[in-house]
Amino acid sequence: MTARRFLSTYAIFVALVVECVVLAVAAPSFLTGDNFANVLRQNAFPAIIAAGMTFAILTGGIDLSVGSVVALSGVLCADALVHGWPIWSAVALGLAVGIGVGLINGLIVTTVRVPPFIVTLAMMLVVRGAAFKYTDAHTISGLPPAFAGLSQRMTMAMVMAVVFAASWLLLTRTPFGRHVYATGGNREAAWLSGIRVDRVLVKVYAICGLSAGLAGVLVASRLNAGYPRAGELYELDAVAAVVVGGTSLFGGRGSIWGTLAGAFFIGILNNGLNLYNVSAYDQMIAKGMVLLAAASLDRWRA
Amino acid sequence: MPLLAATGLAKSYGGVRVLDAVDFTVERGEVHALLGENGAGKSTLVKILAGAVRPDSGRVELEGSPLPSGDPLGVRRRGLSIVYQEFTLVPELSVADNVFLGRERGGLFLRRSEMLRAVQPVLDDLGVGIAASAPVRTLSVAHQQIVEIARALLGDAKVLIFDEPSASLSGREVDRLLAILRRLRERGLGIVYISHRFEEIFALADRLTVLRDGRRVATEAVAGVDRRQLIRWMVGRDVSEEFPSRRIDPGATVLEVRGLSAAPRFQDVSFSVRAGEVVGVAGLVGAGRSSTALAILGALPSRGEVRLNGRAVRFASPSDAIAHGVAYVTEDRKGRGMLATMSAAANLTLASLGQYTRAGWLLAPRESAAAAAAARDCDVRAASLEQPASTLSGGNQQKVLLARFLLTRPKLLILDEPTRGVDVGARAEIYGLMNRLCADGLAVVMISSDLPELLGMADRVIVMREGRVTGALDRASATPEAVMALATSSRSAA
Repeated sequence: MTARRFLSTYAIFVALVVECVVLAVAAPSFLTGDNFANVLRQNAFPAIIAAGMTFAILTGGIDLSVGSVVALSGVLCADALVHGWPIWSAVALGLAVGIGVGLINGLIVTTVRVPPFIVTLAMMLVVRGAAFKYTDAHTISGLPPAFAGLSQRMTMAMVMAVVFAASWLLLTRTPFGRHVYATGGNREAAWLSGIRVDRVLVKVYAICGLSAGLAGVLVASRLNAGYPRAGELYELDAVAAVVVGGTSLFGGRGSIWGTLAGAFFIGILNNGLNLYNVSAYDQMIAKGMVLLAAASLDRWRA
Repeated sequence: MPLLAATGLAKSYGGVRVLDAVDFTVERGEVHALLGENGAGKSTLVKILAGAVRPDSGRVELEGSPLPSGDPLGVRRRGLSIVYQEFTLVPELSVADNVFLGRERGGLFLRRSEMLRAVQPVLDDLGVGIAASAPVRTLSVAHQQIVEIARALLGDAKVLIFDEPSASLSGREVDRLLAILRRLRERGLGIVYISHRFEEIFALADRLTVLRDGRRVATEAVAGVDRRQLIRWMVGRDVSEEFPSRRIDPGATVLEVRGLSAAPRFQDVSFSVRAGEVVGVAGLVGAGRSSTALAILGALPSRGEVRLNGRAVRFASPSDAIAHGVAYVTEDRKGRGMLATMSAAANLTLASLGQYTRAGWLLAPRESAAAAAAARDCDVRAASLEQPASTLSGGNQQKVLLARFLLTRPKLLILDEPTRGVDVGARAEIYGLMNRLCADGLAVVMISSDLPELLGMADRVIVMREGRVTGALDRASATPEAVMALATSSRSAA
């Protein structure tokens, strides 16, 4: 019982360390500073989105619209820049898009009472469609060079660190965080205990949208363009990172550090397979197996 | 040779002995009651009998030949079935489909009419008017239980184990269940009956076995045992008085309900509660008692008037009610009460988190101090408050729930079935706690289907039937007969 609890809490961290040790021994290029920075930059986007996704999954929900939000937020941010907005206001616009979509998700989930899976699946299509429509499926380019600075290694790492630190503080050091866990653990009990469950859910989807909006801005900076196809399948990467990180899809159990470890476990796996020149197709298969293994572990511990 | 014989059963979990050399037999045509406090080893014993758990040592024989251990399906095929506390029926399927679930008649296609014809006589024979074609979701809890019994009978059960079958039944439904069990006994079945309610055991059982701390304390004929002795066996000491007496000194009216309605659940309900007073609410399951409580709490839309300390109030949600000093402790501990995945401490402070914050941040030391104090006040027994709430016994979970809402500093406390599934020792402690709270001026509403408890604890009793208040009795006139008459009398007689 205690062994199970230990494993269920720390499995992903142990796996991450083992993975790094194995790669360090097997692939000398893994331990280089360049490769390290590479891993950090490549996985900052999925990790930031996964941080928001952790909130949704902790309540027993899910947000499938985040990939599309990345696109719309990036596109609108890029367009604003092209139209001469200052960088800070274009970034704010990108974040506002994310919060806006998140609020819509949350309000539909709580007032119409459609399951989050369906609401956010529909929003995934609506928002992606909007991104294509707005750009007429073209890429928006010609952004000011200063904007690209946002996606420099150090900046990205710092943004990610701030996102995770803030998520951790919210989840473990505020009543709101406790309410998130309680809503996912037993919604009815939470409500009868005086928690305004609907408000919690609206905030959770807004946070999830905000993290996707932020990732959208960073992706646009990285591409130095607003690209309506950006963020495709990011929702699945985010869910995978959260689940591999040990958060239960049933809600009520999990941690933000697990998500960070989960995102980097998958990212480093990709990196290692790249170093060995494993094909992208085989990488997909490997990622699928890891996800399945993590979900099985969740069943076993329950 | 007994029908069912278990000898020397032992089982440990992680070094803790939960069952220690326990013998248990059931004869043909016998009802054998199994008693013990929560955690005494009853459920482990039942799981071993049913083949769901493998014992460390010992064996189980049915009609002289060993039962397969660790093979619940095999055990059921041999003729030992359990009617579980939580039902295992599929609500959307019909009664017949449920009865034949997993062993459907027919090949590629189901032979529905054949299944219906096979099930209906069994239901009729049990003396209930259930149609085999009815969807299970349309049935009452009592009828669902009878479907479970029918399922076992059609599987040629020789031994039936009932795990707290009366926990969610009203008085009349319990009587009918007991009548059915007597009939099954006459047919030569062996019945194991687990219940916390002594009345049922004395009314039904032939023999009883008491477990305590994993050991068999006694196996005796029921005829030679009295209540006091039974409690002593279960608790290991004398529980002085089941219902501690209290000096009643009610103060000002705290709650006044006038003409509250939420059709079709309840209509025109009026009553009042004063500070320091316990008002009991009696009635059958479905009489509208819990709905009335939820309406007062703002969890169910309603019309009518609710006054708190003389001021008219209308709560929009439970959080609103809690902010005004009204707390409701649910009857459905597992479904609507506990957060099983979270720690006992988090469960304790859930409703009062706002008290432990500064500038929006939770103050961990203040919170854990409050949790520890609440656990102490309500006598919650846990190795650590950091352990998951799901690992606590039923009685301790109930105390955690109570403590959770006491931390909100209520003026009015509504308790819904406060001792359901709680063992004798913890029950007495909960009663003691209620009395202490009343002495401190709390107004308490106690909804209960346990008549002795209601009559023992309440200063006044309100009786509800079919969504209406049919009577209010003071302590002197509240006899079991009077309450039951008001709770059950037919429309024509009223």
